[in-house]
Amino acid sequence: MLLPSFYDFCCRVRTLSGINALEQIPMQLGRMHASHPMIVSDKGVGAAGLIDKVIQALGDGLKIGAVYDQVPVDSDYKVVDDAAKVYRRNGCDAIIAIGGGSVIDTAKGVNIVASLGGDTLLAYEGFGAVKHPLRPLVVVPTTAGTGSEMTLVAVIADPDRKIKMLFPSYFLLPDLAVIDPRMTLTLPDFLTASTAMDAMTHACEAYFCLEKNPLSDSFALRAIQLISQNLLNVVKTPGDLHGRLALANASAMAGIAFSNSMVGMVHNLGHTVGALCHVPHGVAMSIFLPYGLEYNLGKSADVIGELLFPLAGPEAFHATPKKERPAKVIAHLRQMNEALHAATQGKHPRCLKEITGRDGAQLVPRTLLPVIAEAIMLDGARLTNPEEFLPADALPVLERAWEGMPLGH
Amino acid sequence: MNTSRYPEIKPGQKWIKRFYLAIMLWTVGKAIPVAAKVDKEVKKEIDKLPNNFTLRLMVLPERAFPPFFYAKMLPAFVADKGLLPYGLQMILHKDKEGKLHYQGADPRGKKFDLSMAFKSLEAAMMVFTFRESSPTGYAHDRFVVEGYLPNATIFMRVLDIVQVYLLPKLIARLAVKRYPSWSEMSPLKKHINRIIIYVRAFTF
Repeated sequence: MLLPSFYDFCCRVRTLSGINALEQIPMQLGRMHASHPMIVSDKGVGAAGLIDKVIQALGDGLKIGAVYDQVPVDSDYKVVDDAAKVYRRNGCDAIIAIGGGSVIDTAKGVNIVASLGGDTLLAYEGFGAVKHPLRPLVVVPTTAGTGSEMTLVAVIADPDRKIKMLFPSYFLLPDLAVIDPRMTLTLPDFLTASTAMDAMTHACEAYFCLEKNPLSDSFALRAIQLISQNLLNVVKTPGDLHGRLALANASAMAGIAFSNSMVGMVHNLGHTVGALCHVPHGVAMSIFLPYGLEYNLGKSADVIGELLFPLAGPEAFHATPKKERPAKVIAHLRQMNEALHAATQGKHPRCLKEITGRDGAQLVPRTLLPVIAEAIMLDGARLTNPEEFLPADALPVLERAWEGMPLGH
Repeated sequence: MNTSRYPEIKPGQKWIKRFYLAIMLWTVGKAIPVAAKVDKEVKKEIDKLPNNFTLRLMVLPERAFPPFFYAKMLPAFVADKGLLPYGLQMILHKDKEGKLHYQGADPRGKKFDLSMAFKSLEAAMMVFTFRESSPTGYAHDRFVVEGYLPNATIFMRVLDIVQVYLLPKLIARLAVKRYPSWSEMSPLKKHINRIIIYVRAFTF
């Protein structure tokens, strides 16, 4: 590949990975001079017994200052402000986030307000607003997908303005990520599938979008390989601890990759349908990923073709002529979605019309597609997509993704 | 060691590059408000920005452009005309009525809702000599953004369209990801708007 004329890569998150990694947290927090952490989590994680599991693993080494488990699925700044008050009231000195993307991003937001002062997170919105180091943040992911434990950004909603706010800062990088497969063991099959496809999207977009660089490429390629080799097995055999550990590692690696090379139109579309229709992020990613690759074939076919090696293995890669590799990558990802759909008894959607809410109602009505297409312009991921991506381009992509039809050229 | 024997090494002034960038920023700054009047796409994007909004595009480090150093001593209402660029900055303001105005290069007394800054003179040269398109410049970390990112994406889109109007196709193709096709911008519309933008931007 060609080296970019300039790139910026930073990953300074200390990572502990292994079956008993949780037990290391007290010692590591002690090194950061913290002894009174607040746990940030959500009701689902609590109900699955994961908060208790972490507290049990911490043993007597730490005194938990407070447990805040009120984080909703789409966290907003009011939750952050509320949790920051709990942090201050209990005199906490660190945060342990236990959960998926929403919990981790909320914990990052709480850390901003709790460390820098003020009453609301809104004061720190946008680039360059967080200018000082924050209190220690330990992240224990319970899904293998978001990669938030490795990223420098928090995405938090503003329900009044109906937007998702970005809080990017190197100070938001967690101090410690603890990857313990016991934390993802209870994850239902369809969530395992969609969150892993989210990580797959992070890795693929990191590899073919404009800000790609050799360091992020190496993380992306290994992440794709680990997901491709383990995802279907883990969905079929949920108790496979080593498979779970592989997916959790892949998620973290994909997080490092996309945090340093940004993402493209797949995330652009995913953020928009997430904000407008409340489609779960992982589900949107798994549906849009093949379309994102297909759309960018004009400018990035060679780079996309290289993904066949980690996806399908060296034999398949060498047996495929170079010009056929990009199409095979896209076909392979569509096959993965089909296999996951079958393995989860139809709970892993393959197209937008198959996404339903808890009440069984369709989350993305076809009539809303033009509105979604217009709204893509407000998302920064559009800029790093190799091909130009405007509302007029987005509408046919959305229509095909709604039907589940390939884009075609 | 007697350090006084080692004179301070001052970086070159790079007069030609600074002058070139000052002209480019001035030209783009004057053209955008006119483009917002004549092009529906630019108007649609500008309408998305909140009213009473100030943005600037600048080149770091922030310092006055030496030949116009004395512009600092001028009252703001003169500097605001943009006739005397001081420092490599381009300031645009959307007023309470939603009208866009070019406010020159004088940052004194202004609060910026969005600030986009090229990290160095060379970084700005890469983009303004079209060796890198603006999205590639963004991807290669040529500039830093302070403010709300969706507003920055709006400005980038506006910049793309304005570059298509200001530059001949041969150069504009290097500056944008995709040069507009006939269905997106007819040649007739492009040439008429180009003339209007050039005439109105530099005569009123």
